[in-house]
This record gives sequence, structure tokens and C-alpha cells, in this order.
Amino acid sequence: MQVQSTASGRRCPSGEWPRDELEDLLARVTRPGRYVGGEFNLRRKPGVRPRVVLSYPDVYEIGMANQALQILYAAVNDDSAAAAERAYCPWPDMADLMRARGVPLWSLESQEPVATCDLWGFTLPHELTYTNVLEMLDLAGVRLRSVERGEDEPIVLGGGPAVADPWPLAPFFDAFFVGEVEGRVAELVAALGAPSRAARLEALGRIPGVWIPPRGVAGVAGAAGPPARRQVFADFARTMPVTRPVVPLLEAVHDRAVVELMRGCTAGCRFCQAGMWYRPVRERPVDMVVEAAERVLAATGCDEVALVSLSSCDYSAIDEAVSRVRALRPGLRVSLPSLRIDSAAVQLARFGEAQRGSVTLAPEAATQELRDRINKGVDETQVVEAIEAVFRGGFTGLKLYFMIGLPGETDDDATAIAGMAGAAAELAKRVARGRARLSIAVSSYVPKPHTPFEREPFAGEATLRRRQQLLRDALPRGVKVSFHDVGASLVEATLARAGRGSDELVERAWRAGARFDGWSEHFRPQAWRTAALACDVTLGEPAMADVAAAPWRDAVDPGIDAAFLAAEQARALDGLLTEDCRGGRCGSCGVCGDGIETEVVA
Amino acid sequence: MSHWLLWFGRWGPASYLSHLDTARALQRTFARAGVDLALSQGFRPKVRFSLPLPLPVGAAALEELAVVEVAERAPAPASALCALRAAAPEGLPLSRLAACATHPRPRPVLARYACEVTGDAEALERAAEWFAAQREVMVERVSPKGRRTLDLAKYVKDLAAVAVPVGARLEFAVRHGRDGAARPQEVVDLLARRAGCEPVMHRLTRISVSYEGLPRDTESGGEE
Repeated sequence: MQVQSTASGRRCPSGEWPRDELEDLLARVTRPGRYVGGEFNLRRKPGVRPRVVLSYPDVYEIGMANQALQILYAAVNDDSAAAAERAYCPWPDMADLMRARGVPLWSLESQEPVATCDLWGFTLPHELTYTNVLEMLDLAGVRLRSVERGEDEPIVLGGGPAVADPWPLAPFFDAFFVGEVEGRVAELVAALGAPSRAARLEALGRIPGVWIPPRGVAGVAGAAGPPARRQVFADFARTMPVTRPVVPLLEAVHDRAVVELMRGCTAGCRFCQAGMWYRPVRERPVDMVVEAAERVLAATGCDEVALVSLSSCDYSAIDEAVSRVRALRPGLRVSLPSLRIDSAAVQLARFGEAQRGSVTLAPEAATQELRDRINKGVDETQVVEAIEAVFRGGFTGLKLYFMIGLPGETDDDATAIAGMAGAAAELAKRVARGRARLSIAVSSYVPKPHTPFEREPFAGEATLRRRQQLLRDALPRGVKVSFHDVGASLVEATLARAGRGSDELVERAWRAGARFDGWSEHFRPQAWRTAALACDVTLGEPAMADVAAAPWRDAVDPGIDAAFLAAEQARALDGLLTEDCRGGRCGSCGVCGDGIETEVVA
Repeated sequence: MSHWLLWFGRWGPASYLSHLDTARALQRTFARAGVDLALSQGFRPKVRFSLPLPLPVGAAALEELAVVEVAERAPAPASALCALRAAAPEGLPLSRLAACATHPRPRPVLARYACEVTGDAEALERAAEWFAAQREVMVERVSPKGRRTLDLAKYVKDLAAVAVPVGARLEFAVRHGRDGAARPQEVVDLLARRAGCEPVMHRLTRISVSYEGLPRDTESGGEE
């Protein structure tokens, strides 16, 4: 351990920390703890090459809760010769100061400039983080466009769910990895050993799942390579989850230990991109889940463990897993992040007296017809039973989550949300005797690629605003409601199914001041309007894309048959339900085969 | 239940934690070390853990104090300290741990600080000399609770400025009374204004804190 002089003249055993120019910045910004690292379970591999920097394009507190980054950080540091470090998007006060002082973005572990790493990997969660990617590249001093980058600049690699349509960011990345990367980390690290940037890119391009965007220069479009096949981590069920995650010292959004007990969901909700993207279902054995929980609790010091997946209640041995994990320690809280309404009453009973707090239930739509269209196969009685179970169970808060703007939705469907909220309020009064809080969260549906609704139109600004107002007017007094910002939904809809050339829109918006678009206090609709006008794009319409031609399929092969998605779209129109293939008939989505199959606990 | 006093430093990355985050990090250290903290009674039990004197964000500290109540099944302090040191994050080194026969209620009475201020060293030295000659220095404190005036001369003593390459290193002590105390930033604001420099503290370090009400056996170091 090195020593550092303090102002007192005494020496501190904390390494050369911080560098003078960083110390000066940290003295002037809000929450400086975001930029300094030093967390529990942080890994340092000084001087090791290749050096990989992993980034989540949002502020530290949000990025630290991202599991993909934790998985990659552990895989690169613990199972490969490379070193992985982290960098998050600086908050605007810090970003402005860094620009004014000419201090480039640094990584938390070594405090070395990010631009000096060999590979800069971004996990891309959603469209409203795209301008932050440009912000981070710029702050790091890495040239925005791949074709402009020099030999010494890092390879910039994108991954994560938003890669389902990489076109809006394509020219800013050297490569994209499509799908689950765990099984390919060794190959990615090996590719970085090639002697030149071109050779490294060529080696990366040979790895299954890697898509190299067309390398057009200065307005001349280059030829696109073949679409990359989405990778499925076939050994998921035989691989231990992360048990030594980095634990932030600042309060982050989810302050709990996490065990991923299952990946994939075959419930088949037609609006859900994750449900299609992470197929098939793979469950880890209960013994592995319990051992992982024990180890992660010891490594993190948390008093709560979340058993996470897209739909944890569908895990085949959920009762056994919850009871065995809870038995690890007296008073340990075990949480499941998503409850299925059709069995919520049973699930809520599992939590017993020890756990109280608030619960979120997601009916998604308030009328039976609309729920059938989106393949959310629950009926009114099940919804009411679930709400009653929440209040009878002693929970002190209930949030009901809905979407508006779903395909086929009418104004009546939207106002029906008020009816369901009223019924829930009545139950809160009668069953919980007014001691429970009820809130309604309403987001705007944005059609996503590789889902049955990928070719459906976005509802549009006027419709969404009208339905929000109708719902506001119809809600009973005392029910708290929150709506997703329609302006942000317009941007999301413009980018989610954008085509080739849409990068210009993102860059113009960023140059006009857009960043942190997912944060209401920083979202600048005018920057997006200005950029859209310059690019001749209508916000809300997929940018530079013929949706019927599904341009995202030119870059990404999700492994899901287009015919399956089209058939599901047709069934939605007819209001027909499709059963979960785990317990019912195979829906012929095309994912299984070639060693990839559903794996459930016996 | 047993009462412990834990002395720790706060350096490097941990200097940038808030008071609550520092407390949370130390509590998590106990959990990682397998040393159970005692819980309060009531509907929402809280761990019995306190830091008697909050540190400003950005301040390093050489020897801070935490008052801890541990559960009956906690190990002996010596073995607990080994486990806690292994479980602590970098930047929060643990130096001593002492068990107390009674519930300690330490009250800070004097804290010594050092920091650097960028600017004209001579002007800062003159400002420090001016301050030392004053019997009363009234400043206004603005906080979410409102405005109040306080006499810095009453709370700040031994103020000295010494030239360093970037400007001046200030050293001073802050008295803590039942009616409150001065903040290091208020001292720097005042001096920087008089010296015509930017009122930004660099490398603020709390060198020591003296307490009233510490059990006698812990003052010489106690059990480790």
C-alpha cells in the first residue's frame, strides 16, 4: 500500500489518491463520491493489459445497480488475464467542469484516462441513454465516429438490450456484441492481443455475436456485414452467479444483494422485448441459488437478497428457493422483483410476517380485451384477489403499473384504469383500513424491435396526452398517479426502431445539449426538436426507417422466427392468448435447437 | 449487549462520502465481518451505531470515533478487530477497538483541522493574523433552516497559515459547545474573502478530535 501526504503533513495509507487535478474537481461538484471508486470488492490489477473499461451510460448510482456490468466485471477480472475497470457518465456539473479544465474521463479503479484503455465496453439499456454515450466519448477525448479513430484509441464495443436495433449508434461504435456475452469473454480478450487496430477489429468480427457496423466515411455509406446472431449463454444453469459484486459506498438505487436465479421468460407478453430477447428459459439449480445467496450476503454485508429474473415467480422451485434462502439467517429479507398477478395471492403469503413494505403489481391494461391482446392472461377476478392479498398481507403500499398507447387501445381502455384504481382504493379502505398507500404508475407504450408488435405504430403525442388527461380526470380523489413524460416517449419511439443514418439525429441532439434524457430535470425536448427538424425526422416516427422492412434485422438476427412474431401479431388482433411453452405447447418461436434449449429445475 | 468504541481513519476515496454513507459503510463492514450489531426496539429496528461528530464531504480524517453496540453473540474485541479490518473498504482503516463497561456518551469538545487554500500565501497569512487579533468575528450562516449569525472568534482558535506551493496551508481548531460549532468552510470563506482568493478548501483533514465523556480506560488506547 502506498502512502499519501495530507494537508496535515501526516501520511495516509490510501494510494496516490486523488491526483491533484481530480481533487480540485471533486471539491466543486455534487456527490463527489460518484467519481472515486474505493468500494467493497473492487478489483485492481495495476499495469495489466489488455485494460478493459466497462461503462453504463448513466450516473454512478444507477449504473452500479446494473447486473450486466457486475457479471462482466467479475468475468474479466477473475477469469481472464485482462483487467476490467469502470466509468459512468459524469453528472452535468462534473462534465461541464471537466470540459472547462480539460480533464479527460477517468476510470474509477486506476484513475487513468479511459481513452488509454484497449477496449471500452458499453452496456446499452435503453434509447434515452444514447446521448450519454456521445457525452462520455467526448469527455474521454475519444473521437465520436469509429472511422475517425486512430491506432491508439480504444475499440468501442456496445452490448445490452438496446443493441436489438444498433443503427442509431452504429457509427459511434467499432463493434457490437449481440446477446449474452458471458460465454465469449475469453475470445473477446484474446482478440485484443492482435497487433493493430484493424487486426483487432478483424479478430473481433470473427467472434460469433459480434457485428461490425458498416464503415462509411464522410457521407459515403459503407457496406454492412451480415447480421450477427444473438448469442445465448448455454451454460447459464451450470455457472455460478456473481457472488462478489462491487458494493457502492454511496447509497445506490437498489441496496441489496442479488442472485440471478433464472434467465429468460416464455410468458409471451407481446409488448415485452426482454421476454423475446432473453429466450429460452434457463433455471439455475436450487442448491446453486442457495450457495450463491450465502456467499453474496457474506461478501456484501447486505441484509436483503433479491432473487432476480424477468419473472422470478415462474422459477420452478421458487417455494424451496425462498424458504432455504430465508433460513440462511434470522431476519433475512428475501425479495422477488416481479410478482405475477395470477398467483400473487399465493406468492405474497410466502413473505410472512417478517417482510413489510410496498408491492408493485402490473396488470398492464385495465380491460380484459386489451389484456388478451397483449397476451397478459389474467382476468379481473385474479387482479382483485391479488390486490386484496396485498392489503390482507399487511403491506403498507401498493403500486399498480399500467401502460397506455398499446396497439388496439381505445380511450375507454385508458379510462378503465381509473375504474381499477377506484376498486383498489376501496379495498385499501376496507381491508387495510386506510393504512396502505395506493399509487398508479402509467407509462407510454413504445413498440420495440423483435417483438410481435415491432411493426405496430406508436400511439403518438396527441393520443397519449389525451389519454393521460382523460385518466387524470377519471381517477378517484386521493389516488396518486404518475405518468411517464410523453416528450421522452417520443424520443424513445423515434430511436427504438430507427434505421441506418439515424445516428445523425442522435449526434445533432447531443450537440444541441441533450444528455441524461431519462432524467426529467435534464431532458431537453427542444434539443431533440431542433435535431429532428434538421434531419427531417418526425419525433415519434421511427427515424429513417421503413418499419415494414424491419431494418434492425439487417444488423441483428435475434434467433426468433419472423413468422412467429407475425403470427403473434395476428393473434393479438384477434385477442387470442398464446400459452407459455414451459408448461404448454411449443409456440415455435425458433429459439431452441443447436444445443440451446429450455432448462428448468426438475 | 456490549458497548464498543471504534477508532478509524477516513482517507482517499472514502473522504468523499457523506456522514450517512460513512456510517452505512462502517455498518456494512460489521456485517461483512460477521459481527452482529445490536438493534433498537420498535416497528422499524435500527442498528445501534453512531458517529459522534460528522465529517464534511471531502474531508480526510486521521482518527475518528464510532460508538457501537453489539449483540450478545459478538466475538471478543481483539478477534472482532481482525475480522473488521479484513472486511473494511480501502479508505476506512480501523485502528483501535475498545470494549466499555458502560454505555459511552462521548461529546466532542475540540476538533483540529488542516487544509490548503489556493492563492496568495502572504495575503492568507495576513488574514490569519487579522483573525487572531479579533475579539469578535460575526458571520452569517444560511441553511435550509434559515439564517443565523455566529461569532467565529468564539469557536475557532489557533488559526495559522503557512505558505505552501499552491497557496497556504491553514491549521485551526474548532471548539464544539452545546450551542454548536463553526464549520471549516466558514473559516475558509472568511479568510479567502479577506485575502481575495477563491474559497475552495483542498485536502481538508481532521487531525484529531477531543471528547468529553469517554470512559477513562479508553483514553489511553483501551483494548485492541
